[in-house]
Amino acid sequence: MLGFVEEIVLLQLDDAKGRFLELPLSAAHVVLAGAAVMELAMQNRIDADLDRVIVVDRTPTGDDILDDVLQRLAEAGELSPASALECVTAHAGAYHERAVRRLVAKGILREQDGRFLWVFRTRRYPVVNDSEQREVKARLRGLLLTDEIPDPRDVVLVCLIDACNLLGLVLSPHEIEQTRGRVAQLSRLDLIGQAMTRAVAEIRFTVRHAASPAY
Amino acid sequence: MDFAQEQAGEVTIVRIAGRLDSSAAQSAEESFARVVGAGTPQIAVDMSKLDYISSAGLRVLLVVAKKVQQAKGKVVLFGLVPNVREVFSISGFDKIFQIQSDAASAVAAMR
Repeated sequence: MLGFVEEIVLLQLDDAKGRFLELPLSAAHVVLAGAAVMELAMQNRIDADLDRVIVVDRTPTGDDILDDVLQRLAEAGELSPASALECVTAHAGAYHERAVRRLVAKGILREQDGRFLWVFRTRRYPVVNDSEQREVKARLRGLLLTDEIPDPRDVVLVCLIDACNLLGLVLSPHEIEQTRGRVAQLSRLDLIGQAMTRAVAEIRFTVRHAASPAY
Repeated sequence: MDFAQEQAGEVTIVRIAGRLDSSAAQSAEESFARVVGAGTPQIAVDMSKLDYISSAGLRVLLVVAKKVQQAKGKVVLFGLVPNVREVFSISGFDKIFQIQSDAASAVAAMR
């Protein structure tokens, strides 16, 4: 099973072009930082409340990206969720590179003429095995299209997919319209995810307005 | 965190007290798992003595809610102190759980 960092890197890859989707770079970095911090929360290394993110266990996870993030957060001391994301976002470009190299080493991506291509072209969901891919896709669809209570990892996945505007991987355009409220509800359930969603929305707002004529 | 339970007819009243955070999450999850156990669980959770809940604590409750839903049971929370209620409100957990003011209302809400 892949972690959230590798997962979100894979999801942002447009296999047809062999390039990563064009999110504003800073937004892509915030999402990657969010993925790492939320993964550390799932692995009980950090905890959070409305005001702060706290490192509760410095034991390395064995994942070099997560362990680097853990060390940075531990050194930074108590931070607000937004500041914790900022602290990690500053290094997200390097983490992205590392995650891509790791996916190549695992045989999930291959590099060809400077482009990255999926080895398994249909793989768009969180696990490598084909049957699990279908299961995860079905589970996310079921979760978004019903009132089913999510499990915590699914909450994080919805947060990440929504922040990257990738709901289209799981839902039709009509379903995306139908489920806006549900997605917003699920995205709120993780406190770090909330901070990430806010940060990405602020970046998008800034980029949109910077691109608009001033008159 | 302290965890206690008592039976009120078909409803199991669970009383949690103290802090539900990462240090208490695993034991809380195990204790709740025993309550959810078999059958169709009907659980009222007394949170009047719960002073603090973190993200890890919220995840424990989310897992409980999911298991209870899968077992076609019901879980109702009651007696939330203001700061815990604020966390529920901001995180949207108040839309996941039915919340009542006291035990009698929580038990009544099971019917």
